[in-house]
Amino acid sequence: MPDKLILLVEDNEEDEELALRALRRAQIADRIEVARDGKEALEYLFCEGVWRDRDGSRQPDLILLDLKLPKLNGIDVLRRLRADERTRRIPVVVFSSSSEDEDITRSYCSGANSFVSKPVSFSCFAKTIGELGEYWLSVNHSPSRPSPPA
Amino acid sequence: MTFRRIMRSFRLKLLMVMLSTTAVALLLAGSALLYIDMRDYHGVAVRDIQTQIALIGRASAPALQFGDPQVAAENLTLLDIRPSFEAAAIYNSRGQIFATYVRHGLEGDFPRFPGNEGVWMEGGNMFAFHRILFEDQIAGTIYARIAYPINERLLQGAGVIGLIILAALVLATLMSGWLQRFLIKPVVGISTTARRIVSNRDYSLRAEKLSDDEVGDLADSFNAMLAEIEARAGELERFNRDLQNEVAERRRVEAEVWRLNRELDSRVRKRTRELEQANAELEAFAYSVSHDLRAPLRSIDGYGEALAEELGEELPDDAGRYLDKIRTSTRRMGQLIEELLNLSRLSRAQMRYDTVDLSAMAGEIINEQQQRDPERKVHVVIWGGMTAKGDPHLIRVVMVNLLSNAWKFTAHTEKPTIEVGNLEEEGRSVYFVRDNGVGFDMAYSDKLFGVFQRLHGQNEFPGIGIGLATVQRVIRRHGGRVWANAAPGRGAVFYFTLRPDSASNAGDDGTDGGMEHEHGDSMPGSGDEPQAGRKLPPV
Repeated sequence: MPDKLILLVEDNEEDEELALRALRRAQIADRIEVARDGKEALEYLFCEGVWRDRDGSRQPDLILLDLKLPKLNGIDVLRRLRADERTRRIPVVVFSSSSEDEDITRSYCSGANSFVSKPVSFSCFAKTIGELGEYWLSVNHSPSRPSPPA
Repeated sequence: MTFRRIMRSFRLKLLMVMLSTTAVALLLAGSALLYIDMRDYHGVAVRDIQTQIALIGRASAPALQFGDPQVAAENLTLLDIRPSFEAAAIYNSRGQIFATYVRHGLEGDFPRFPGNEGVWMEGGNMFAFHRILFEDQIAGTIYARIAYPINERLLQGAGVIGLIILAALVLATLMSGWLQRFLIKPVVGISTTARRIVSNRDYSLRAEKLSDDEVGDLADSFNAMLAEIEARAGELERFNRDLQNEVAERRRVEAEVWRLNRELDSRVRKRTRELEQANAELEAFAYSVSHDLRAPLRSIDGYGEALAEELGEELPDDAGRYLDKIRTSTRRMGQLIEELLNLSRLSRAQMRYDTVDLSAMAGEIINEQQQRDPERKVHVVIWGGMTAKGDPHLIRVVMVNLLSNAWKFTAHTEKPTIEVGNLEEEGRSVYFVRDNGVGFDMAYSDKLFGVFQRLHGQNEFPGIGIGLATVQRVIRRHGGRVWANAAPGRGAVFYFTLRPDSASNAGDDGTDGGMEHEHGDSMPGSGDEPQAGRKLPPV
């Protein structure tokens, strides 16, 4: 799978490490960027703050977004993404420990493309991540990338 | 003094009665006396004139006989001593005036001829002719005229009577003042008392008894009546006061009730707020359970797996086994959390009432079980036409739990049988799921519906012990009751209702409900089909 970029928004270091492990094992992405909170995720996407020097024309092919995040929660991040022309077409999978109806509904209403609960069992977790990458990066066709801002 | 005024004054009326009575009595008496007087006066006059002329006639008879008018005239002069005689004359037998007498100062005015013997009256005079007999021969006639002032006398008498009446009336009027004291005053006293009572409403006033006569009796009666009225009025007043007190008390109680209601209202609001807060906290807890508690578990499992993968063969056998145990426990804990969350979700989910075809639902669930476990042969009896009113999703959760339990706990039974049916008891449906599995000891029935309570070992029958807690949660949300009856080795029956018991005292915790039903002696699956209306089926 050539040149695929995943943005993982995850505050829990262990979850991050396990997710990276699972993603690596599944070999579904060339590059995985990690944001530790909602603010950093937005800075990454909009090339601000520490990500000021990032190439803004290269947006992630998939965002795995945790809901419970410090500073700015997942739903807020989702809303900001969907409100901006540069990021509104990026597939976002909410990847959360929650399986609450309310969270699912709010996620979809805020523009999530998918909602997946993190299983407790690592094998299930890894399998799920593999399937997610497989689907969103190979099976699914995303809209072509928007032209970089002038 | 008008008639109307008289009619309105008892005193004047009494006076009038007295005066008119006096006047009438005196008038009648006076008239009678006058009449008698007139009659006597007339009689006396008549007798007098007749006697005098008869006497003088007789005395003058010889004079007539002998033609001596001088004697006759002298005889007539005798009348001078009788002042009433005004004139007299003697006629001879030929009817010529023989001798005359005229009182001094008066006119003679004699009739020219003698009239018939007799007496007559005319214009204040009485006249009389009398035949003078001498030796049974008419010798002449004597005539006399006397003053007979009958009219004056009548007027005089009437005047006297009038005066008497007047005097009597004046006297009577004067006497009325005195009479009033004895007659009217007591009556007026009663009347005044009555008026004062009417204006003051003071029934303690009493009329003064001034005499022992009928008016005194009246005063007594009046006072007795007043006493009665006073007693009644007092009673009425007391009653009114009681009533007023009662009304005041009622108002007070109403105000109190209102106040309590408001207090209750605010308390309920406060409690509701607290409950809402508690619920919000619970939800936050559930959320954090779902999110935060599972993350470390995932880490444990994840790193365990990583460890196993990285070290692989290098791990000692025991260590690998331990690692497996750690990961199994972790996953199990994840499962427990998941189930807890499901349970909490069931409690929070919105209820949607519908009619559920319980027979069909039970059939579907059994089919699913059979598909999951194709090796097993279970004899399943599901009564037809069972319907229930409730939330279809939640009732399905109940049926899945009860039927999967029945399925599970008949795993080691020969000829396993599961029966689903319903009975009518006290006007509502009691549904039951019966199996002939391992059953349980009723001594532990209080643990039956508790969360994570298990009556069997994990190795014997797998499970996490949340199914019946879930069942009870759902049944409670429907306002129904669930209970069980069982004996070790002889199967179990789970009963449930979906509507509140008609008997309000029936607890709905169901844990003690099983004790209400006696242990039956008949073995489960003995073949006798339960009939509707029969006693609840024993184990």
